[in-house]
This record gives sequence, structure tokens and C-alpha cells, in this order.
Amino acid sequence: MTIAVIYKWAPDAQEASVDTAGRVDFSRAKAQISDYDAVAIQVGRQLADATGQGLVGLTVSGPAGGQPAATKAALARGLDSVLVLADDGLDRLGPSAAASLLAGLVGQLDEVGLVLAGDSSIDVGARMTPALLAGQLGWACLTDVERLDGSASQWSAQRTQPWGVETLSLTGPAVVALSPTAAPLKAPGMKDILAAGKKPVRLVGLAELGLTEPAAGQLKATAHLTGPSRQGVVIDVSDPDAAAQALVAALGQAGLLIEGRA
Amino acid sequence: MTVSYVLAAGQAQVGDLVQAARLVSDQVVALVVGPEAVAQRVAQAGLDQTLWLGEPGPLALEAFAPALAEIVRARPGHIWATRRPADRVLLGAAAAAIEAALVVGPTEVTAQDGLTLVTAPVNGGLALSTVAFTGPVALLMDGGAAPDGPAGAVQPVSGPTASIQLVESQPSVGQTVDLTAATRVVGIGGGLKAASDLPLIEDLAQALGAAVGCSRPVAEGLGWLPKDRYIGLSGAHIAPQLYIAVAISGQLQHMAGCRQADTIVAINTDPAAPIMAQADYVLAGDLYQLAPALTRALAG
Repeated sequence: MTIAVIYKWAPDAQEASVDTAGRVDFSRAKAQISDYDAVAIQVGRQLADATGQGLVGLTVSGPAGGQPAATKAALARGLDSVLVLADDGLDRLGPSAAASLLAGLVGQLDEVGLVLAGDSSIDVGARMTPALLAGQLGWACLTDVERLDGSASQWSAQRTQPWGVETLSLTGPAVVALSPTAAPLKAPGMKDILAAGKKPVRLVGLAELGLTEPAAGQLKATAHLTGPSRQGVVIDVSDPDAAAQALVAALGQAGLLIEGRA
Repeated sequence: MTVSYVLAAGQAQVGDLVQAARLVSDQVVALVVGPEAVAQRVAQAGLDQTLWLGEPGPLALEAFAPALAEIVRARPGHIWATRRPADRVLLGAAAAAIEAALVVGPTEVTAQDGLTLVTAPVNGGLALSTVAFTGPVALLMDGGAAPDGPAGAVQPVSGPTASIQLVESQPSVGQTVDLTAATRVVGIGGGLKAASDLPLIEDLAQALGAAVGCSRPVAEGLGWLPKDRYIGLSGAHIAPQLYIAVAISGQLQHMAGCRQADTIVAINTDPAAPIMAQADYVLAGDLYQLAPALTRALAG
């Protein structure tokens, strides 16, 4: 049996810029394996070791995701091997298209019973790819999981909801999205990085898998996101206590404080 | 005749979903997973149909994903759901069943010449885009209030389920904070010199009756606060009545999480920090002087 981890070689949206027309530019942002994905790989490593299974990484990417820098970065986190679908035009896929192609990659594996994922991607941030992938595969799915134990087809998951901590059991193949707190992050050491260069990498293209890029909607317009207009009232801080009093008075007048204060 | 499905998993707060769905569909059908009382409450939204998947018993809400996929596959349409974990899983199954495109947090959805035009934030809130879709769309957004109209009919249905069981549920012992539900929030950023200085901010928040949030580095880099306190692009998106940003520079990525606050107060030593141009009240000073002063002023 094999455990798979989906990951993404993607730039952090924190490093993107937005032009005056609202177009998001990732050209100066450096691609990486996100902490979210690193946690998923780490949990996968622990489960694979505990259950004697292999651990394979799956990703869909533009050509850069198939480059050694990308595959080594993923493998150094603890994967045994990677299967990379890298092709032109697969750089900026939405979650639906990515999930559809990832399902095609899962279909390439023998006897995979568990697919792990991070909580979110760092570029799109929709938190939906695991659920869509499970839908594509017809598998069970849980998200926000903080602890996962089990064997080949029986898993026990724990997660925190607003009302408390839930323990759930899953039977059969499943996709599980892990919370960032599911494992402490450990940076790869020199030994991990050197070993990564010797691990198997399988690169495939759309044509080889008989897949086509899923259709997306047609972009009609972009714009800046704006919030409510702001007053921009500057409060003199030369006397901190007077400044604080002035602010509290203004907030109180606007009805923004708890009744009885200011 | 076009149809929209509104998913309700374990709770009936779907008023905004129903309202938005009506604008682009001839029929709105609710698919309810959870206790019958939830289905009855959802049915008060004046829907064309309320389909209820039956009492869940020991099954987790996510176990009903195959049943929802089967219903939607039989008659494709737009699918609407909230951002809660179970709703996301159910939406994923239903959307995958009909190859629906996914949009998160739409601000406007309209139907025009056979197309569905959806305006929504992209990349977690960096910018807005408007996209035209020819087929069904799966939309993830805040649900709004529970409907309170006259009672409506609830139609029980059944379908295949996944093997996911709720084994145990224990009430939280630690303090969990839902920043998105807070009326007032104090956010702390990289200007705080040490974790041991956090009480300055906690005292201010307590005096204000506010929740404490933070910028990403404070939670994910420094680890001074739990990750659920991070406000920003991939963190919490808050819309409180009052947000006091303390020693936060106000980069685009942080503002994506707080720009919907009714009133923003910025406290920062740098008068040129981006947040100063995006605030209602601007205090260009030192948090170590201003935060205690504010706490005193609120107490007085």
C-alpha cells in the first residue's frame, strides 16, 4: 500500500504584487514547498513508517515544478518518490482543474488508500482542493485534521471545532487535509537534501496520461479590492495620555465601545 | 429551467446563500445534512424544495458527500455553501460530480446571456476578478442568518454515504477565539519586541472587550500567538466594528484580512507605514506608551 501527499510548487501570495488594474503579479515571488505542504509530508512520513507503507508526492505544475530544484525540495521533506505532472499552462490552475488532474495522478498509483494534503495552498488559498479531489475520486474526505493514526484502510482523526474536539473514524480510501498544527515543522538537514537527489522522480505530461487541461471560466475584468472609505483622522501623540483620551472619546462618540466606557 | 442548490450542513445559517442563489436561478433547492430541526429551519427560507438526508446518527456530516453528489449529478446546477469544514467537503463532492468551477467569496453573481458572471477576490484577497462561466459554478461564501419565514415542506431523501463516523466529541478546554465573530479586535504586529510584552496588548483588549489577533509573522514565524489569531490573506478575514492595529505596517497581505472592518485605528511609530493611509484614526507613536495609555483611558 502507498500513502500519497499532494503538494504544490508555488510562490507565496504574501510576496505577490498587484498593479493598478488589480492584476496579481507573481513574477518576483519565489516558488517553494509551503509550510502547509511540509506538515502534510511530515505526517505522511510518520504514518508511512508506522504502517510500513511507501510515501509518494503528487503535484500538478507548470514546467518549473518538474525541475530538480522543485522535486528535491519536496523529496528532502521526507517523500520516498514524486510523480509530477508538469506541462505548459498548468501554472495558475484553479482548485477544480488542479483536483481533476491530481485525480488522474492518483489513478497512476497502485494500491493507494490515503491521500494527505496541507490545509491550504499558499498562492490560491481556497482550501478546497482536498475536498474536490475526494469528490473526483469518490473517496471520503475530512479537513482540519490535527491528528491522524491508523493502518491501511482504517483511520482515526482528531480535529478541533468551535464547540470542541472531535474524534472521527474513517474506513476505506480517504483524502485528509491536515491542520498546520498536525506536526511540528522540521527543516530538512544536509543529509535529507543530499538523499533527495537520489530518490525516484517520475515526470509526466498531459498527453502521456491522456488528460487535457480542464476548462476554466473566461476572465472578464480585474480590479483592486477596496473596503469602506476611511476618515484618516490624525491624533496628536505628543502626550500619550491625552492622545488616548482623545481616541477613546471619539470611539465612544461613534458607539464603538462597550456601554459605560468613555 | 435553471436550478441552484444551497447546502446546509448541521446548521441553518444560509439566508445569504438563498438570497444570492435566487438572483441567478429559476429554482432554489436546499440540500440539508444534519438533524431534522435544521431542515425545518432551512425550509423557512421559502425554497422551491428542501431535501433532507435524514438523521445522521453516528455518521459525520461529511459522510453524506456521495449522496449529495448523486442528487446534483442527476440535475446539474450552481451549488452554494458556507466555508465551514463539513460544508467544504460536501461542496467539493457535489462540484466534482458535475465538473463545476469553484469560486470563493463572491461579491457579485449575475446571469447574463446564458453566462454566469462572478466577481470575487483572488489569491485570498489580493485583488478582484470577474469571470464568465458557461457551466455550473460552486460558490463558497458566508451563509448569513438562519431564515425565519413561514414553515415550509421538508422532503426526506436518501443516498449512498461514506464510512466516516463521529466517535467522540469533547467540549473545548482551552480558550478558542473566533476572530471573525468578534465585534472588536486588537491586532498586534512585528513592532512588539518580545512575547513577554503581550500582556500590554491583552490588557488593552480586555479593557476594550476585544479579541486579540495578530499579523502573520507573530503567529507563524515567531509563534507568540496561536495560528488561528493570524489576520490576513491566508488567515482570518475579519469584519469587526472596530479594529485597532498595533505596530502593524499594513501590507496588502494583512489588509486583505481586515479591510472590511467598520473602523480601523492604526498605532505605529512609522507615519509612512501603509496602514496609516488606510485607517480612520491614526496615532503615529510608540505602542509601549500608547497601549498602556489607552488601557488607562478605557478604565477611567
